[in-house]
Amino acid sequence: MKKSIGTALAAALAGAVALAGATAASAADPVKIGFSESKTGLFAQAATSQYQSYNLWREQVNAAGGLDVAGTKRKVEFVSYDDQSNPGKAVQIYEKLITDDKVDLLLAPWGTSLHLAITGVIERYKFPIVGNTAASVQLRKLKAGNIWFPTSLFPDRQSDVLAALLKDRGVGTVALVTNQLPYTQENKAFVVPALKKAGIELVVNEDYPPDVKDLTALLAKVKNAKPDAVLAYTYPADAVLYMNGAREVGLGQKVQVVLLGPQYDFFGKIFGAARNGILTMGHWTPARKDWPSAKTFADAFKARWKTDPDFLDAPLAYVSVEILQQAVATAGLDKDKLRKTIAGSTFATINGPVRFEGVMNVALPTMISQIQGGTQHIVWPPKERTAEAIAKPAWK
Amino acid sequence: MVDLFSGQLLIAALVLAAIYGLVALGLNLIYGTMRLLNVAHGEILMLGGYLAYWTFTLTGVGPVWSMFLALVLAGAFGAAVYRTLCRRVLGSSRLIEQIEANSLLLLFGVSIILQNVIALSFTATARAYPYLDDIVRFGTFQVTADRLVVLGIGLTLSLVAILFFRLSTTGLQIRALIQQPDAALLVGVDVERMRLIAFSLGFAIAGVAGCLISMLEQVSPFMGFPFTIAAFVVIILGGLGNLAGGLAGAVVLAAIEVYGVALTTASMRSILIYGVFIAVLVWRPQGLFGGRSLVR
Repeated sequence: MKKSIGTALAAALAGAVALAGATAASAADPVKIGFSESKTGLFAQAATSQYQSYNLWREQVNAAGGLDVAGTKRKVEFVSYDDQSNPGKAVQIYEKLITDDKVDLLLAPWGTSLHLAITGVIERYKFPIVGNTAASVQLRKLKAGNIWFPTSLFPDRQSDVLAALLKDRGVGTVALVTNQLPYTQENKAFVVPALKKAGIELVVNEDYPPDVKDLTALLAKVKNAKPDAVLAYTYPADAVLYMNGAREVGLGQKVQVVLLGPQYDFFGKIFGAARNGILTMGHWTPARKDWPSAKTFADAFKARWKTDPDFLDAPLAYVSVEILQQAVATAGLDKDKLRKTIAGSTFATINGPVRFEGVMNVALPTMISQIQGGTQHIVWPPKERTAEAIAKPAWK
Repeated sequence: MVDLFSGQLLIAALVLAAIYGLVALGLNLIYGTMRLLNVAHGEILMLGGYLAYWTFTLTGVGPVWSMFLALVLAGAFGAAVYRTLCRRVLGSSRLIEQIEANSLLLLFGVSIILQNVIALSFTATARAYPYLDDIVRFGTFQVTADRLVVLGIGLTLSLVAILFFRLSTTGLQIRALIQQPDAALLVGVDVERMRLIAFSLGFAIAGVAGCLISMLEQVSPFMGFPFTIAAFVVIILGGLGNLAGGLAGAVVLAAIEVYGVALTTASMRSILIYGVFIAVLVWRPQGLFGGRSLVR
């Protein structure tokens, strides 16, 4: 009996020590942050810069002593899995991250379809997540309370803003060539009525399939129609085809819009000065003087990854972690507090202030950018611009 | 209406035909000699693209030169893949029964591994470099110099390949193997050696094609698959295993892509291509240019 009491006491003591140890360890434990990553599959190429921004942030935070969790600094540790660019897989991964890995925080997957797919899981577990690389009018219809979108690249607003810019540039006729993929099609669906409303005539309106390997014949049609402006609603791969084709065919339009492509580092490498004057979508530039951290981010990204950040996904991904970082500093890791903080605060980011109403960032207007002097400037609307829009110089 | 007789369209179609022809040639060679469906063909092309990109970026040496390196390295890689993987499949009495399906599965695995090894090594970020991108004028139309180079090299290589298979002993032996494998064995063709050469050549040509394509578009770990598909369409059009037919198939595919779009709309491009593809499969399964014999 005596022995058993002694054993029990020893066990209780050991348990107490273990508990105390566990409590002490939890403050020093790293904060586990989970996300799914499109490492393979359709989005892999596009998703890389998101991952690079996440990792740059993690390294910066850890180098500064850790993430401020309501006053306590804790190191950041990532838990990530490859979603193979598959929305179904992403849903499983987020479920696993929440229930099995028991992560403290979540970061967003890549692209609209994956954001939409994981919303159900996020809502079921009421786990707040700041989205980033998604822009579709469908997102606005979400009645979600645990996901927010910092972007302003929504095709309806983007189309209105672009039509206003075209009008300002004196454009009366437009040729529109559009890739048959979802984001470009959604933009087309909104830009056609926006152009009409602005009194701009559409003289060519043709779609092309994503696996196209040559656009010469289509661009020859555009040339024949002699429009004032060309809108090439491309994805990055066919943006290269457009640029090569437009040079060869000799599209001399002073206003040429290339939707997706000019924002990426490879585009600058391949076209150099030939891309100057190309208008494109984008609401971020390191050239904004009132966003001083934008330039710091661009420099840090380049130093870390030996490549310039793109002007879309890299900054958006970074903005999303900045928001999370500031919210966690105030609210800690409690999901309810975190949700209220994200939904109700204004955050300082590399893309200016962010404030959400519903799922949308209302502090960031929709903008149009232009490549000038080898970098991307905001040229429209006038009160946001970092440079005046220029006429596209002749192809060299 | 676009002028169908413009030099602009003609040169676009020819450049595209040169690319398709070159990509399809290697695929056809491997299929013709061994009935192996090399779905990793596009990935070899991708490796060639990366080789050209890195050679240019690190040393400034252009793809016109690095393609010789690609020829050797891709050829050696082909020999290694043949010896380690494909020879076993060809040598197994169980696997040889359904060699097409089995090789497709095997090489599909190889293609996934190659994509991911490259993605892990260099990230999936698209990469590109400027090379010979000056505009060259020809009377009423103009073309970028890099596309002319691709056209020139593509045509030269195709011509060399045709001469090789018509005139050289090795080429004749490979053709014999394609046309009459049993008879080739009987007359003393070293089947094993010819298969190794054909497999290496198929990879080598894909590597060169990748170097050339890297001049025109961005390089990424996943760039190969569309080319594998295009190459399959070309060799079905030209006749599986029919090398000269494959080159003609490339011209047909490029013509549909350029002139089909000029005559209809760009959104018709895939419908036209795959419409013709299915029609050929149904009504002329031996290919548009295939008679009974496979190589002319």
